[in-house]
Amino acid sequence: MVTATITDLLLHPLGIYVLALGAGFLIPLFDRAHRGSAILVFLLALACMVGIAGFNLFGIINGATAIDIETAGIKPPFSINLRFGLLEGGIVLAVNTAALLGAWHYLPRLKEHASALLLYLILVMGINGMVMTRDLFNLFIFIEITSIATYALIGMERSGSVLAAGFKYIVATSIASAFFLLGTIFIYYQTGTLNIDDIIANQELISGPIGFIATLFVLTGLLIELKPYPANGWGLDVYETASTGIASLISVGVSAGMFFAVYKLLPLAGDFLHSIAFIGGLTFLFSNIIGLKQDNTKRLLGYSSIGQIGLLTLAMALLAQLDSQVDIQSQMYLIVGGLFVNHLFAKAGLFWLAGLVKSSSIRGWSVISKRRGMLLLLGIMMTALVGLPPFPGFWAKWELVMLLASNDMFGWISLILLGSLLEAAYLFRWFSYAQQSVADDEQAEIPVSFWQPLPVAIAVLLLFATSYVMAAVMQVASPELYLPLVAGFALWLIDGVHGRYKNLPMLVAVAIGGYLLTKDLDGINSLFSYLLIGGGLLVSIAALYRKDDRKGFYPLLAVLLLSLATLLRAQSSLEFFFSWELMTLSSYLLITLGRDGAKPALSYLLFSLGSAYLIFAGFAVAYGATGSLLLSSLGNSGESMTMIFSLLAAGFIIKMGGFGFHIWLPDAYAEADDDFTALLSSVVSKAGVFGLVIIAAQLGVRSDIGLDPAYVLGWIGILTATFGALMAVFQEDLKRLLAYSSMGQLGYIVTGVALMSHLGWVSAMYMTVNHFLFKGILLLSAAGIILRTNQRLMYKMGGLIKNMPFTFTFTMIAIIAMSGVPPLTGYGGKWMMFNALMDKGWYWIAALAFFSSAIAFLYMFRLLQTVFLGQRKLEHHELREAPAILLIPQGVMIACIMVVSAYPKLLLDPLSAAIDPWIANTLVWEGTAMVTNFGYWNAPMIMGVVGGVWMVPLILLLLISLTLKIQKVEQFNIVFAAERPRRPEETHYAYNFFAHYDRAIGFLVRPRATAFWNTIVEWSHTTASSLRIFYNGNGQTYALFVVMYFVAMFLLNGGLAL
Amino acid sequence: MIKRIFIFAMLALMAMIFFNLVANYTENTTLSKLGHYYADKGPQELGAPNLVTAVVVTYRGLDTLGEVTVLFISAAGVGLLLRRTRRNQDDDKGLEQGDRAEETAGVHKPASEIVETATELLLPMVVLFGVYVFMNGHLSPGGGFQGGAIIASGTMFLLLALPESHISRLMIAITESMSGFSYVVVGVLGVFLAGGFLDNRIMDLGTYGSLFSAGAIPLIYLFVGLKVGFELSAVLDRFRKEDTGPV
Amino acid sequence: MNMLTDIPISLIVLCSGLGLILIGMWGMLTQRNIIRMIIGFSLMDTGIHMVMVSIGYVTGGTAPIINDAVPIADAVNRVVDPVPSALVLTAIVIGLGVTAVMLAFAVRIFKARNTLNIDECTESKW
Repeated sequence: MVTATITDLLLHPLGIYVLALGAGFLIPLFDRAHRGSAILVFLLALACMVGIAGFNLFGIINGATAIDIETAGIKPPFSINLRFGLLEGGIVLAVNTAALLGAWHYLPRLKEHASALLLYLILVMGINGMVMTRDLFNLFIFIEITSIATYALIGMERSGSVLAAGFKYIVATSIASAFFLLGTIFIYYQTGTLNIDDIIANQELISGPIGFIATLFVLTGLLIELKPYPANGWGLDVYETASTGIASLISVGVSAGMFFAVYKLLPLAGDFLHSIAFIGGLTFLFSNIIGLKQDNTKRLLGYSSIGQIGLLTLAMALLAQLDSQVDIQSQMYLIVGGLFVNHLFAKAGLFWLAGLVKSSSIRGWSVISKRRGMLLLLGIMMTALVGLPPFPGFWAKWELVMLLASNDMFGWISLILLGSLLEAAYLFRWFSYAQQSVADDEQAEIPVSFWQPLPVAIAVLLLFATSYVMAAVMQVASPELYLPLVAGFALWLIDGVHGRYKNLPMLVAVAIGGYLLTKDLDGINSLFSYLLIGGGLLVSIAALYRKDDRKGFYPLLAVLLLSLATLLRAQSSLEFFFSWELMTLSSYLLITLGRDGAKPALSYLLFSLGSAYLIFAGFAVAYGATGSLLLSSLGNSGESMTMIFSLLAAGFIIKMGGFGFHIWLPDAYAEADDDFTALLSSVVSKAGVFGLVIIAAQLGVRSDIGLDPAYVLGWIGILTATFGALMAVFQEDLKRLLAYSSMGQLGYIVTGVALMSHLGWVSAMYMTVNHFLFKGILLLSAAGIILRTNQRLMYKMGGLIKNMPFTFTFTMIAIIAMSGVPPLTGYGGKWMMFNALMDKGWYWIAALAFFSSAIAFLYMFRLLQTVFLGQRKLEHHELREAPAILLIPQGVMIACIMVVSAYPKLLLDPLSAAIDPWIANTLVWEGTAMVTNFGYWNAPMIMGVVGGVWMVPLILLLLISLTLKIQKVEQFNIVFAAERPRRPEETHYAYNFFAHYDRAIGFLVRPRATAFWNTIVEWSHTTASSLRIFYNGNGQTYALFVVMYFVAMFLLNGGLAL
Repeated sequence: MIKRIFIFAMLALMAMIFFNLVANYTENTTLSKLGHYYADKGPQELGAPNLVTAVVVTYRGLDTLGEVTVLFISAAGVGLLLRRTRRNQDDDKGLEQGDRAEETAGVHKPASEIVETATELLLPMVVLFGVYVFMNGHLSPGGGFQGGAIIASGTMFLLLALPESHISRLMIAITESMSGFSYVVVGVLGVFLAGGFLDNRIMDLGTYGSLFSAGAIPLIYLFVGLKVGFELSAVLDRFRKEDTGPV
Repeated sequence: MNMLTDIPISLIVLCSGLGLILIGMWGMLTQRNIIRMIIGFSLMDTGIHMVMVSIGYVTGGTAPIINDAVPIADAVNRVVDPVPSALVLTAIVIGLGVTAVMLAFAVRIFKARNTLNIDECTESKW
């Protein structure tokens, strides 16, 4: 050390303290000379603190040993020492970086007073000290440095509410520090040392009632600083009122220091680990429930902060419990580090944004609806916070859940997933408010310069970078997996260009990317790749019909389609889940781009996330059972198989809008952009089918899985089909009708898969292709109609056959293909499915399938009738045919339908071959006819006969219509008997077209599912209200809770038995 | 009322917990591990007869630097909180009322003659005593904090006796900053000239028991004493100025 | 008389300290006036300091200053533990710092709302 140079010292971690204190002490003097120089010194010191932490961490990552900083020239435990190891370095670097970025945000306020500058600097130093020190009493000092600096910065604001909140904060934290100090002194009494390592080494000295109480005092003192439920009202009040600059630092920096302090002392925690885990879990769950009811932006962030720290505490305590059994050091770094960095940058970023937007209620955030950049930052931060890919939280949660699963801690997994879902609910609710554009005259322009959101943007980049590093550590960071994001980013760079031709680069990117990703696939995956990527491209061509800029649309579309490709090539459940979440996220964002998309998109996202978490849980159970992440080893999971199958199947079914979980579907489909609805229904929904087929192949066909889950699945499928059809019957809105229809058709497919027989699967896959074709046509037609009429209600249309003959023809063919009448594709699908159902002996299901097919015909008839036939509205006389670019994809699909109808073998052979490895081929062909126990199906012949039978009367009718004079009927001359028209549209024959059926079967379609989910929402709000009654705003109540928290810990851990 | 009962229940439980501590407490009959080391090696190692000083300044020097920092930031914090805001400048409406109240607050009554005279008589002695206490911190009971506190009580005298007396902010700021900075510099010198950060053996340990001995301890206590004295004075001054209306 | 001298001196200090902590907590939890709450905090803090000092006491020990009265060779057996004394010094200063900031808050709260009643500082809640 004698030969040390100044440079060595400044690069040494000790330099952090020397710089911070030196600069801190001198700032008042610089300020006397010139305020600018004080600011410069302040920023330089902060930047150097980042630099020093980064430099040393870099060294450690590259193999240098952890740095022990000794003081006083005496060896510990007789002097105080600090440590800068991997974990310390990571946390310090992250905190200092966040603090530097935060200083940028906070500077306009900080620079008003030199004291504020030095307080901020020393506050950050205090956090560094809390992380690095290895001395118990020194820890106390750093805690106090941090606390006092925090108090003073809170008190910088002059409004009464901030001061009141600050005082409550002081009272609560000073009691917590008192506990800590008491504990420290009694630990010293028993061990005779203050060095943490020395204490841990001599743990056996901490014994008896004094040891118990002392440990409890120390731990509780620190845990209270982490704001556990319910002793955290004081923290919330500060989050709500304090300026965002200090609130963000408390949320991410101070909490980080406290958190790491607890982490250091965990070896002493012993039996207290259970209650620490319990408290962490409780805090995570409850703050997220309470967050549902919160409208105040900063308080909402407060609940989220507290929740995240609760999750971290939970994870840390659980890992520490496991650590005694197995070596999980590397997972520990990934999980705690990932969750930590995620919370740090995402939460700080959100606080900074909140500081810029200055809207106290989340409902007022629509002021940024036109600021695409800020909206993007907000969305990214929320995505990260919820733990969606590609952010560090995603990897961390994955590792955590898998680790818990392999130790059979499924209760905790459910809690974590439920809490995450709740958090997503309130965060994205906020996002949807931010997105709702208000009328231009209400649009209050918020004065935010380009530079102000810069710290947030840097935080975003850091999140991406961390995430990539984590993925690399977890060995999943393949270029293939990241291709969707890269493509999306590249397209985003050209997103500023005006006009619609941005679609072409998107198509090229998806075509090339999709080809590269899927070219090596075989079997079922390969078939799906044609459908999802090829089909996706075909439908996306239609997007060219929109002439506007569609900011954000094309990059997101590329991400969506390519994530479908990565989904298909996923080998492991992690890759699958990554792609699945990416798909969910990008489709959510695409739906929000629709006219009134924000609200339906939110419910889409929540159901999708619910489904994703079920899938996640399923994979976790599988990992717990097999210890492998490979999808191909799902089948080795033995007894857990039924559980895994049920969880995964439930997840996929929710995503497909299964019965009872369908309420998101009609709204989302209806409000999304018209061409995107086509894609959602015809392509994206097939991802669920793919998932279902995969798990059916891996799990469903196994003999050791009970038949029951499959049978239940069959029923769910057919109920979905029936109710989808029934509800479609009563829709007035063209897109809602098609949405319910889509739901119903997917129901058949589910039933087909559930059959677990070769014919059943062939029929399911066949129907999948068919559904893609006809629903693509129908929704693209609908897009054309809506474009021309500017209308979605069917009774406001009519007679469009004259204006849009092509659209009419395509729609009609699609309807025939769908409805299962010969000769087109639908017939073959139904025929095979009925055969398979009869084979299996599922007669009731077969009966319902028959019934719902009939219903389907009703609503399709109505579509044709009310939109294209009947009389034209006056204002529709001049309408033109849909644009060619919409018709071309439809034409291609019509051609496909025709070919497949005539030569189904072209499709059935590859399907059958792909299924063969899983279930042996049972199809019997005689020439062009498929033969089963119940009969045969000769498609070319049917095509010929029916085509002939149709053509004759058609030509006849055409001739008649040319020769006969047809009398026209006035449009509004029909009044239904016993119906008293209240509104003009009720006199229109097309309105409430099936009113007569409503009397008979309407009771079946009352919105019970909606009512059920509304009840759930209400219930959670009531729960939130009762959980937050402790937060009455009274400082003494808060202080009482702090004391009570300690007493409760004492009693919970058996204190009375002392 | 229910809250009251609750509070009493909690405090009763706390009392029970404390009773557990007391019931199991036995007085130490020998020194703890650390205490033993310091009593055994302290005098030779650091050359300071006052072991508490040796612990405070060197063995746990980082604590003391932290302590000085705590005092520094609480002085800065009090200054920040009690800063005067010019009217119409601050964006908050609530405070203007407060500021007006501040301006209309009455001027202090002058102190009685006895107090004034006694202060004039005692003040130099108090300050001198403070200096004595921190300069002899390594030899006898006392040290930088104690000495600083005594100096600050001198300031208190002054403020009580002569409420209108003016304390130079500039002088306080310079002394505060320079003594704090020098402390850090002395600490850093330890890295280069001795065993590590805050090592007091950068200077000759000198004759055991004399005023200029124990290495840098008197120097550090000089800085600490000055810093503490001026900081506490500053805190007192800020609370006073806060009350007396506009400058 | 004998009974009283049998009680170790540090136990008395310890008990008083713990008692003071309870009184201080009582003050912080029940007194509505912010200044009284701060006094409660000070009492609690002082109580902790007493506890700290009592912990460092060694039966029959004297002040840890090595001079003519306590020769170096015998120091180990004659002095009380210097560590808690050093710690308490630090703790006192920290307590002082917190108290000063609390008082500054009290001054500010009074200026902002003309009351020192903690019950009237409840606008942010839920």
